[in-house]
Amino acid sequence: MERHVRSWRTAGPAPRTVGRMSDGPVPEGAPRSLTEDLRTRDDAVLLALIRDRPDLRTPVPADLAALAARATSRPSTQRALDHLDQLTLQVVDVLVALPDHSSARDVRALLGGADPATALDRLRTLALVYGPDEDLTVTRSVRDIVGEPAGLGPPAEQALRGYGPARLSRLVADLGLSPSGDPIEDVRRVVQVVGDAASLRGLLADADAAVHQLLATLTWGPPTGRVDRADREVTVAGAATPVEWLLARGLLVARDASTVALPREVALVLRGGRVHRDVQAELPAHVSTPVDPSRTDHAAAGAAATAVRLVDDLLELWASDPPKALRAGGIGVRDRARTAAALEVSDDDLTLLVETAQAAGLLATGGDLDEVWLPTTTYDAWRDQDVAHRWQVLAGAWLSTVRVPGLAGGRDDRGRVLAPLGPDLARSLAPQVRGEVLRELADLPRDRATTAASVADRLRWRAPRLAGRLRQGMVGWVMREAEVLGLGAGGALAGHGRQLLAGSRDEAVTALHALLPEPLDHILLQADLTAVAPGPLTSELAHRLGVLADVESRGGATVYRFSDASVRRALDVGWSAAEVLAVLGEHSRTPVPQPLAYLVTDVSRRHGRVRAGVASAYLRCDDEATLTEILADKRVAGLRLRRLAPTVLAAQAPIDTVLQRLREMGHAPAAEGPDGDVVVRRPDARRASAPRRPSPAPAAAPLPDVVLHAAVRAIRAGDRARTAVKRSPDGASTVGPPSSPTVDVLALLSEAVVTGETLWIGYVDAHGQASQRLIEPVVVQGGFVEAFDHLRQAVRTFSVHRITGAAAVDETAS
Amino acid sequence: MTDGPLIVQSDKTLLLEVDHDLAEQCRHAIAPFAELERSPEHVHTYRLTPLGLWNARAAGHDAEQVVDVLLRFSRYAVPHSLLVDVAETMDRYGRLRLEKHPVHGLVLATSDRAVLEEVVRSKRMAPLLGERVDPDTVVVHASERGHVKQVLLKLGWPAEDLAGYVDGEAHPIALRKEGWDLRAYQREAVDGFWHGGSGVVVLPCGAGKTIVGAAAMAEAQATTLILVTNTVAARQWRHELLARTSLTEDEIGEYSGARKEIRPVTIATYQVMTTRRKGVYRHLELLDARDWGLILYDEVHLLPAPIFRMTADLQARRRLGLTATLVREDGREGDVFSLIGPKRYDAPWKDIEAQGYIAPADCVEVRVTLSDSERLAYATAEPEERYRFCSTTASKTRVVERLVEHHRGEQVLVIGQYIDQLDDLGERLDAPVIKGETTVKTRERLFEAFRTGEISLLVVSKVANFSIDLPEATVAIQVSGTFGSRQEEAQRLGRVLRPKSDGRTARFYAVTARDTVDQDFAAHRQRFLAEQGYAYRIVDSDDIGDLGRSTPDSG
Repeated sequence: MERHVRSWRTAGPAPRTVGRMSDGPVPEGAPRSLTEDLRTRDDAVLLALIRDRPDLRTPVPADLAALAARATSRPSTQRALDHLDQLTLQVVDVLVALPDHSSARDVRALLGGADPATALDRLRTLALVYGPDEDLTVTRSVRDIVGEPAGLGPPAEQALRGYGPARLSRLVADLGLSPSGDPIEDVRRVVQVVGDAASLRGLLADADAAVHQLLATLTWGPPTGRVDRADREVTVAGAATPVEWLLARGLLVARDASTVALPREVALVLRGGRVHRDVQAELPAHVSTPVDPSRTDHAAAGAAATAVRLVDDLLELWASDPPKALRAGGIGVRDRARTAAALEVSDDDLTLLVETAQAAGLLATGGDLDEVWLPTTTYDAWRDQDVAHRWQVLAGAWLSTVRVPGLAGGRDDRGRVLAPLGPDLARSLAPQVRGEVLRELADLPRDRATTAASVADRLRWRAPRLAGRLRQGMVGWVMREAEVLGLGAGGALAGHGRQLLAGSRDEAVTALHALLPEPLDHILLQADLTAVAPGPLTSELAHRLGVLADVESRGGATVYRFSDASVRRALDVGWSAAEVLAVLGEHSRTPVPQPLAYLVTDVSRRHGRVRAGVASAYLRCDDEATLTEILADKRVAGLRLRRLAPTVLAAQAPIDTVLQRLREMGHAPAAEGPDGDVVVRRPDARRASAPRRPSPAPAAAPLPDVVLHAAVRAIRAGDRARTAVKRSPDGASTVGPPSSPTVDVLALLSEAVVTGETLWIGYVDAHGQASQRLIEPVVVQGGFVEAFDHLRQAVRTFSVHRITGAAAVDETAS
Repeated sequence: MTDGPLIVQSDKTLLLEVDHDLAEQCRHAIAPFAELERSPEHVHTYRLTPLGLWNARAAGHDAEQVVDVLLRFSRYAVPHSLLVDVAETMDRYGRLRLEKHPVHGLVLATSDRAVLEEVVRSKRMAPLLGERVDPDTVVVHASERGHVKQVLLKLGWPAEDLAGYVDGEAHPIALRKEGWDLRAYQREAVDGFWHGGSGVVVLPCGAGKTIVGAAAMAEAQATTLILVTNTVAARQWRHELLARTSLTEDEIGEYSGARKEIRPVTIATYQVMTTRRKGVYRHLELLDARDWGLILYDEVHLLPAPIFRMTADLQARRRLGLTATLVREDGREGDVFSLIGPKRYDAPWKDIEAQGYIAPADCVEVRVTLSDSERLAYATAEPEERYRFCSTTASKTRVVERLVEHHRGEQVLVIGQYIDQLDDLGERLDAPVIKGETTVKTRERLFEAFRTGEISLLVVSKVANFSIDLPEATVAIQVSGTFGSRQEEAQRLGRVLRPKSDGRTARFYAVTARDTVDQDFAAHRQRFLAEQGYAYRIVDSDDIGDLGRSTPDSG
């Protein structure tokens, strides 16, 4: 036994098939219920079931009956159907249209010849259908959920159930048969006529155009129509209208006083013996055009660099002039328009940028009185990284965010406009859908590009029931956003985008880095007072130019324009004309043009005609002699005093120091209030503290097969226990989790610690909730056992007295 | 990525590094669809505009070519959104076509029904359209051909005008090529215009726009109406046509304030066309007086609004616009596009200069330091008086005197805005003054005297901004101008750009008062020329002595 446990504990490939079939009762012929069917399946199939329908394994069902019950519950079935592709759903339609115990051949016929084998296997695996190909049964809940498959009406037998025996007899007679008097037999006779292609054609041979037209509208659904007095008595002889014509022949059936329906058999004949007009058996191929992969890479890299720069500009802008956070959340129209204009981006792009910045933790609300949006402390760290790393942070955040920027600008149910950064843009499905869209792109060869419409088609085929408005809308948004953020370009993913999607962040950064042009350290100066940086600049030079000139145009290159104001700005931050010219001369490939030199010297000549200085304190005294005396005193050297006017001294030392020193010197100065103080302070750029972002919930990682195997074993064990109980004459107490005396439990636990065996235990938690766990004990002490809980994938501590019983996984039934 | 000469910016400007090996090749490749915005010494700036892209479509280029050129020459990755935008914009041109329908006359037809639906539903279009002939065709009132084009351009669906032109009254006109021939660029310009049907030809001042006009007339062989800025320009056109074509005195009429002649070739001034009495344009009959086969617009960038309105009614006639610059201070470039036609030819000034057809020019801004009292007066002047004050100061006058002295012996023009200042200068410099009130006769006499060298100094007001042919002027001194008008600066420079007999370099001075609005306006005025590659030098008025004279070209 120990050997066996070891074998599935090892990390290697789990055994796909374990010889189980002989253990349980093998039913003769087709299974009568899903439970029975499940019992005949081998472990690999059960494993696939709980792998593909995760809601069935949490918590692990006690036995196969419980599993079957849960698998056929309405919500779980609905969830399973949601993830079926179009062909499989069409097979479901066909199965529902057919009575139970139909065969795969029947399905194929009604499917218009498409091969249902794969779809049927899938449906069996998912426990939506059971039984062999010759005898298929679709679960009750599937029938209920699908209802009228593909717009087909009720079967004639069901539809005619509302007719009294007398009316049925008349109908049979009207069809030229002899009534039997037995309603069931009469119905059968009617169906034989109307459900048969040849006899139906015969019936319709003398119908007029209006009848054909009416049938044509009902054939492909919806199969019901409303008429007054639908239940009126009609005969072939007395039929006046097309409806009456059809009612009299049983080709329409009155369901109640106002509704008539086209029986399913009739519709199927009219549809030419198939359920669907079109059966799309294959996933639609990508509609793609050839592209040059290196062009895609470079275009995407350019976009990536632009996106990084825009986020940087955005946050710099908001650091000094933050937008107010609306009380309802988000930012207002005016702030948006102002920012979009400053960054020269569209409204949509702005929304994407702010949402991405927030998702990356670079932007948050803060501020003292009014809530404003501010860059976070994380931003400072982010800013110091190189472009490729910064891009990876942004793109990574975008991939996993639940927020859908594309929704902004739309309206919610109550007609309110959804604002960027507002609370209503979150959709929990967003990361999953985003991943699906991008995986479609990643699925393409490197040299092909596709369109949003094609991707949407493929997603719709993969899961038609999920193809809601959000999902279809997001396809376009995601593709556009991926291009703005530089994961791809022109309907194709770039190399770095693919790597990021695959989770290889470092490789993505390396790939992007290789694509970005090397920063330059020179510019071209021109006589029209512009400077052109023919590529990205080193950050130092970019910073210097940013002070000296205004940016006029951005892109691969940057065009700067020098003006009075921009040169003055440089002088204001302490540059001299000579320094300005030196910097320009040093970085220019060509001599500094004369008009530019003139501009700089001209501005600097005027600069400072009016002087404003920075002083920490000043001394004022009407008696000039006192000030002269102070100035002459050697002890004031540290104060760095300067005479501005006969009666005013300025000091560079802080006021406290000045006052103290003067007092030490024997003066009695009085401090003046802050009015008239000329201290110029540049307000610090503000920051919000970085929010503690809950790390995005990891997309439900697929459970390793080992764990699934364990779960299957547990279910199987439970089932054996249950079936054994049923057979045992006396006990009813051993249903459910194992039950054993504490002494045995302790022994088993201790043994498992040594052998590393996995145990199946029954456990009652602190709230009195009973459950079953699969644990791998690590240590037993002080009445507690620490163990790895397989289903929760974590180490938990269990108290021994709450363990109701324990059993080795393979031995629970014995 | 290629190491191309072109950088495509996200704001749709294209930067072309001119020192690059492929620069010339690239310039030719992008010229059809990108508009040259600035051409300073190292990096030229082109802009992709809808108008430019549609011009290219009109000339038979398609989006694929444009995208290919951008990708081929671009140094860095071209933003994908920009490429998509280019393709979409170009795709808009020609979805709607103005055509002649055999039964219904002028119709608007489409190959894309949705677009037609969109424009038909537009409020501004509705009154211009007639009945719907079929789902893809709608009747246009013949008189609204121009309006329809204007509105469609505003709606972003420019129509391709395939409705053709009336031939007009035939009239034989031939070029008299005696000792001269069309220059290559003039030939290209005429061909470009003629094949396009109607449109605008952009050539620098002095590059022989009149000849292009005459050649177009010879091509049309039909009666021609020429609209010019003023009477002097009208006389000059007449003079030139007599000299260069087979036309005789009797065939050319002048329609101006003074004379009202209507002849096979009639030259009318904008002013007389826009004269209104009691709210009615009195001279509109001129437009219908003959069955004109060609209408020429001189100095399109100055076309006044009423002329645009009249032009809207003349869409069935061929139209040729001539100008040195499409820059309009009023931003009505779109009207020029839809009413006169797309730009058919454009050549950078420096190119023509390099070919020797216009004189090289040396532009100098002379900065005058105002005296202390002047500065005080300036500082306290009313804001609206400030420009006038600082541009007419006595310090400036003294500098002008010194400049004139410096260039004694050369043909010098002093150009200014304010009459008082000009009169004062005329008196001090002992030179005749030509201003608005000067009679045409006196003007012509003085210009003639200047041309022959009888007098070597003229003081002129803005009346001489345009179309005055003074080939021998080598020095122009601008003392004041119409605030920051860029096209005025270009026009004034144009006065000295006619090639000189000795090939010498022309000199253009802009005298500005330092530290005043004069200097700011000057900076703005110079932008167009600086963008065309004319680098201004700045000198202090004290350093005039160090300036060279305008010298004969040694080469």
